[in-house]
Amino acid sequence: MDDVMSRDLISDLPQSIIESILTRLPIRDAVRTSILSSKWRYKWATLTQLVFDEKCVILSNDRCKVEDGLVNFITRTLFLHQGPIHKFQLTTTHLQCCPDIDQWLLFLSRNDIKELVLELGEGEWFRVPSCLFNCKKLTRLDLFRCEFDPPPTFKGFLCLKSLNLHQVLVSPEAIESLISGCPLLESLALSYFDSLALTIRAPNLKFLCLEGEFKDICLENTPLLVAMSVAMYMTDDIAEHFEQSSTCNFNRFLGGVPRLERLIGHIYFTKFLSIGDDLGRLPITYAHLKVVELNQVSFEDMKEILVVLRLITNSPNLRELQISGSSNTLAAIDAPDLDFWEDECPSNCTFKQLRVVRMTDMSGVPHEMEFIKFLLANSPALETMSISPCVYVMDGRLNMLIELLRFRRASAQAEILFIQD
Amino acid sequence: MSEVDMAVIKPEMMKSYIWLQTADGSIQQVEQEVAMFCPMICHEVIQKGMGSSKNYAISLPQRVNPAMLSLILDYCRFHQVPGRSNKERKSFDEKFIRMDTKRLCELTSAADSLQLKPLVDLTSRALARIIEGKSPEEIREIFHLPDDLTEEEKLEPLKNTTDDPRIRLLNRLYAKKRKELKERQKLKNIEVEEERVDDRSVDDLLSFINGDNGDSKGIKNSKSKKKNRRRKDQQKNTSANEAIKNHNKEPNGLNQVCHSAEVGQKVRAGVGATSNLHDVEDDIFDNKNELDDGDIDDEIDPALKEKIDREVEDFARRLNSDWPERMQEILSFGHERKPVHFSLNGNGSLRRYANSEQR
Repeated sequence: MDDVMSRDLISDLPQSIIESILTRLPIRDAVRTSILSSKWRYKWATLTQLVFDEKCVILSNDRCKVEDGLVNFITRTLFLHQGPIHKFQLTTTHLQCCPDIDQWLLFLSRNDIKELVLELGEGEWFRVPSCLFNCKKLTRLDLFRCEFDPPPTFKGFLCLKSLNLHQVLVSPEAIESLISGCPLLESLALSYFDSLALTIRAPNLKFLCLEGEFKDICLENTPLLVAMSVAMYMTDDIAEHFEQSSTCNFNRFLGGVPRLERLIGHIYFTKFLSIGDDLGRLPITYAHLKVVELNQVSFEDMKEILVVLRLITNSPNLRELQISGSSNTLAAIDAPDLDFWEDECPSNCTFKQLRVVRMTDMSGVPHEMEFIKFLLANSPALETMSISPCVYVMDGRLNMLIELLRFRRASAQAEILFIQD
Repeated sequence: MSEVDMAVIKPEMMKSYIWLQTADGSIQQVEQEVAMFCPMICHEVIQKGMGSSKNYAISLPQRVNPAMLSLILDYCRFHQVPGRSNKERKSFDEKFIRMDTKRLCELTSAADSLQLKPLVDLTSRALARIIEGKSPEEIREIFHLPDDLTEEEKLEPLKNTTDDPRIRLLNRLYAKKRKELKERQKLKNIEVEEERVDDRSVDDLLSFINGDNGDSKGIKNSKSKKKNRRRKDQQKNTSANEAIKNHNKEPNGLNQVCHSAEVGQKVRAGVGATSNLHDVEDDIFDNKNELDDGDIDDEIDPALKEKIDREVEDFARRLNSDWPERMQEILSFGHERKPVHFSLNGNGSLRRYANSEQR
């Protein structure tokens, strides 16, 4: 028998606190609290967040045993659970396509599920059952390695705020209509899609993250977009498609995002933006754009340089700029047109707020140096300019340094950091 | 701060103070910006205009005692300063949280009643870290939790979602009896092993065999509704078998047979008695709707308790007594086969069941 003097410390705390504690435990530990004492028997059963990940798998060498153990655990947990389940997350490499998952989803669809994360293993991709499309209260959906095939009557998730599809097999029309059918959508992430041509209409969209082989992207109606990160991979037929295209990608992509604050581009993003005819002055100013990061910009391609210039000259409040160069062998190896910088480059623009510039993977090509010179000359508030040469360039480093020394600086306190690896 | 000090301080340095009263009656004043960090206090000040003077001190919820209040105010004092970096705040939090579990629980409760969510999150995380990875015994030890679940409940948790107190009561009874019987069985086994020599007369044995022929039938292991019962019975049977095996080492063939029969008989009788007990319990389970609700809350019905205790004593006595005595008892037991009396508000079905046991 327990000592009368040692009173129970914790069982009488309000249920909201108990839930707060149990939610922070791995699910197995939380369920095991049911054998602590009679008061604790059902405290776990009303948790509204169930997260099953690798920690709840009992490892053994027998693969089937691991799978069965995990399936049994999840099934029993769901069966013994009471009340609504708002978040269900299953992240495991041990399950792929498994009929039990369908049943769990059916159960969840009847229990007001709001956040659903399914990240399954490599292998045969799980085909999402139709009951998922009946989850009316869904606010967050993350699917990894699934087949997603909405029925024709599906209109969209009216409450969905966050959508993340990673390696998901779905038709382009389905994605477009899904995005348009979710009026409250604020965060969209699409990764590893093949040759996707996409028009995004999402009036409330704030965060966009795209990664994959995109043939074409058009942000048609995204006025509230705040941050975006785009990584575009190139294949031969996409490159072909680009060559034939005449529409100005820059306008199609960045033409309707006046509230943009952060822009991050990877791999062929800048090239993508450079495709198409230049339509002159940009209609909008990126008044809120503070951070720009563009990777793999080829300074041997004038069009790409123009994209960068166009972007930063229309961003009066730019604070941070990071550019990484690329030795793009595809670019034409013409004699660099250095007259451009003298004659055509917009000369009366000042980057009044620019504080930090990072140039990485610099090969020392003439346009790169001219660009740095341009920045130094027009950034009165600059604090740091750091330059990291590309690892393959060993001989040109001295020349780069010599040139850098000569450049005039508009900012007296600007530090130039040459970062050797 | 004393009145004298306050008079010396320049007017620009005068801060406003909020008066707080804890449940024990003590009143203290706290800098306004610190106190207002707590939503509950903020609400009281703004919506109700309280806290401006000693007479109108804000009464804090009961869960906030002076020690906890002082801790919470330390937390608020640090975090309400706007200029701190995230790193500083994190490191303060890590140090702040280092206290014994009892205080941590009290602090969580107090912070919750003041609606100070960041502190509740911090303490919840700390408590979760304490619980994570520990065995149930360790957790019970740390938080002083009573170990009041039965073995059965622990093995098959959450089987009864109705949480009926009568079911819990029965489970508790059941588990207690099982434990006791296990112990009895252990003692019995020891005794049985010691008994090698049997000096009963053949006449006695023969009369025993003749007289008890009819009995072996009645004592079956009735079909148990619960799996664990079968588990338990199997346990009993194995130990009985062991006892039988021990006796088979006797050279005398006739004695052997008699012994085995006898031991088996006795053990089965014992088992029968206990299955009686549990079948009756089962009946109670089945007929729970017919039982008068008022009788059973969380206390065992005293009459039932007495009967059960008596039954168990009986059985224990039987197991512990010497062979000759046991024989006598078995003889009388076999002839009479008294029904097990369980009067639960004259529940006819029970009596019926007990009677059918006779044959």
